[in-house]
Amino acid sequence: MRVIGSYDWSLLWDNRGTLLAGLRLAIEVSLVALVLSTIVGLILALMRMSAPPVSWIGAAYVNIFRGVPALVSVIWVYFGLSLVLGITFSTFQAGVIALTLLYSAFIAEIYRSALGAVPRGQREAGLALGMHPLRVFGSVTLPQATKIAIPNIGSMFIGMVKDTSTFTVIGLTEVVRVTQNINSTYFQPFVLYTGAAVLYVLVAFLIDFIFRAIEKVMESPPKGRVAQVITRRKRRRIEAVIDRAGVASQAT
Amino acid sequence: MRADRGRETHVTHTLTSRSGAEVDAISSAREVVQLKGIRKSFGSNEVLRGVDLTVHAGEHVVIFGPSGSGKSTLLRTINLLEPPTAGSLVVDGLEYAHGNAAKRGTPVQLRRTVGMVFQQFNLFPHLTALENITLPLRSVRRVKRAEAENRAAQALKRVGLLRHAAHFPRELSGGQQQRVAIARALSIDPKVMLFDEPTSALDPELVGEVLAVMRELAVSGMTMVVVTHEIGFAREIGDLNVFIDDGNIVEQGPRTIFDSCTDPRTKAFLAAVL
Repeated sequence: MRVIGSYDWSLLWDNRGTLLAGLRLAIEVSLVALVLSTIVGLILALMRMSAPPVSWIGAAYVNIFRGVPALVSVIWVYFGLSLVLGITFSTFQAGVIALTLLYSAFIAEIYRSALGAVPRGQREAGLALGMHPLRVFGSVTLPQATKIAIPNIGSMFIGMVKDTSTFTVIGLTEVVRVTQNINSTYFQPFVLYTGAAVLYVLVAFLIDFIFRAIEKVMESPPKGRVAQVITRRKRRRIEAVIDRAGVASQAT
Repeated sequence: MRADRGRETHVTHTLTSRSGAEVDAISSAREVVQLKGIRKSFGSNEVLRGVDLTVHAGEHVVIFGPSGSGKSTLLRTINLLEPPTAGSLVVDGLEYAHGNAAKRGTPVQLRRTVGMVFQQFNLFPHLTALENITLPLRSVRRVKRAEAENRAAQALKRVGLLRHAAHFPRELSGGQQQRVAIARALSIDPKVMLFDEPTSALDPELVGEVLAVMRELAVSGMTMVVVTHEIGFAREIGDLNVFIDDGNIVEQGPRTIFDSCTDPRTKAFLAAVL
C-alpha cells in the first residue's frame, strides 16, 4: 500500500498550539468529571453497602452505567436530554456529565472494595473512643479507603481522558476533533493521528506520575521529597510539642 | 529508638493485689458498670446466655475462660460494640436497655465513659502516635488543637513513648503500639477501661512492657475489666475473677478462686493454662 505524498511530521509542530488546546480541553473536562465521579462514586458505594432497598438502587446504577459506552452516553446527554426534556448543555457540560455518569459507576466499585478492605477494628476503635459514627467514617475509614483506592482512581482518570476522544461527535474541540480539522486541510491522517496518539500516551504517563506522587504522600510515614515539604510544618509542630512536654526528663 | 523498652520491662513486680479490707471497701463503692441478664445472639447462635455482672469503682475484674466462651463478646457489650439482644446495662449512670429506641444517642454517650484496648491494638495507621490521641480528644472532648497536643504528649509520656510521638504505628513495635493504644483510650478520661486480650497478639518479649503499663494503671486506681490468658497477671491484680464458659458465668470470686474453685470446668481450664 502506497501513501500518496510523503509524511510531513512538521505539521505537528506547526499546529502544536491547536493540538495542545485540544488536549487541554480534554484534560479539563476529565478533571472536573473526575472530581464529580469520585463524589458520586463514593455515595453510590455507600448506597451499595447499605440495607436492601437502597443497595438495589446503587447496584442497578452501577451495573447499567458500567456497560454504557462513552459515545452513547454523550449523545444521550447532549442530544437526548435536549430532545426529551428540552435541557440543553454546552459541549463542555455534556462531556463532564457523560463521563461522570459512567465513571461514577466504576469509582463506586473501587470505593466499595477499598472501604471493605479497611479492617473492621478501625471503625470499632473509633466508636469505642466515643467518636460519632460520621466522624469515624470521615477521619478513620475514608482516609484509609482513599489511600487504597488512589491507584485505581488514577487509572480511571487516564480512561476518562481517552474517552473524551468520542466527544468529537458533539463538537467538543478536544484532541481528535482538532486533529480532524487539521487533517481536512492537509490530508495527512497517518501523521496527525499518530501525533494525537502520542499526546494521549504522554498524558497517561503524566497522570501516572502525579498519582504515584500522591500515593507516596499518602504513605504512613509519607515518602519522597514532595511529602517532606508538605509535612514539614506538621513534623516541626510535633517536635515542638515533644520539647514542651519535656523530652529531657525521660531520656535514659 | 527502642532503648526505653528495657527500662519498662524491668519494673519491679510490686504486688498490687489488695487486702481483704480493701476488697470490702471496693464492694461498697459506687457501681460503674452493671449488667443485668445480658444476652447476645449472632443469628441462631446464642453467645451470652443471661450474664449479670457488677463492676465497682476502682475494682479490677478479670474475665477468663476458654476461647469461644463469650468473654470477648461480654466485654464488647459493655461499650455496646455488640449491643445486647436482651437485658440491660448501666455504665456510669447511663442506661441502655435492648429495644429502647427513644435513646438513640445513648451508645455514643455511653462509650465516652468507657475506654477500650484491643487485642490487635487498632491504632489508626494513617495517623502519628500523637494524632491517634488528639483525634478523639478533639472530636469527642472538643479540646482545642494546641491543648489536645499537649495532653496527648503527656499521655504518651505516661506510657514512656513521648519520643515516638511523631512516629506512625507501623514504625513502632507491637508493645509500643499497644502502649499508645492504652494512652489513647485513657485520653478521654474514661470511668472504666476494658482490655480485650491486650497481650495476646504480642511477641513474648513484648508482653512485659504492656503489663507494666496496665499494672501501673491498676495501682493508680483505675476501674478495669480485663479479658486475658495471662493468669499470673490476673492473680496479681484481679479483685474479682470471673470464669465464663458457654455464655454463662460459671464461677466468680476473689483471688482465692484460683485455688478454691469448685466447678469442674473452671478446674479443667485452670489446669490447662497454669
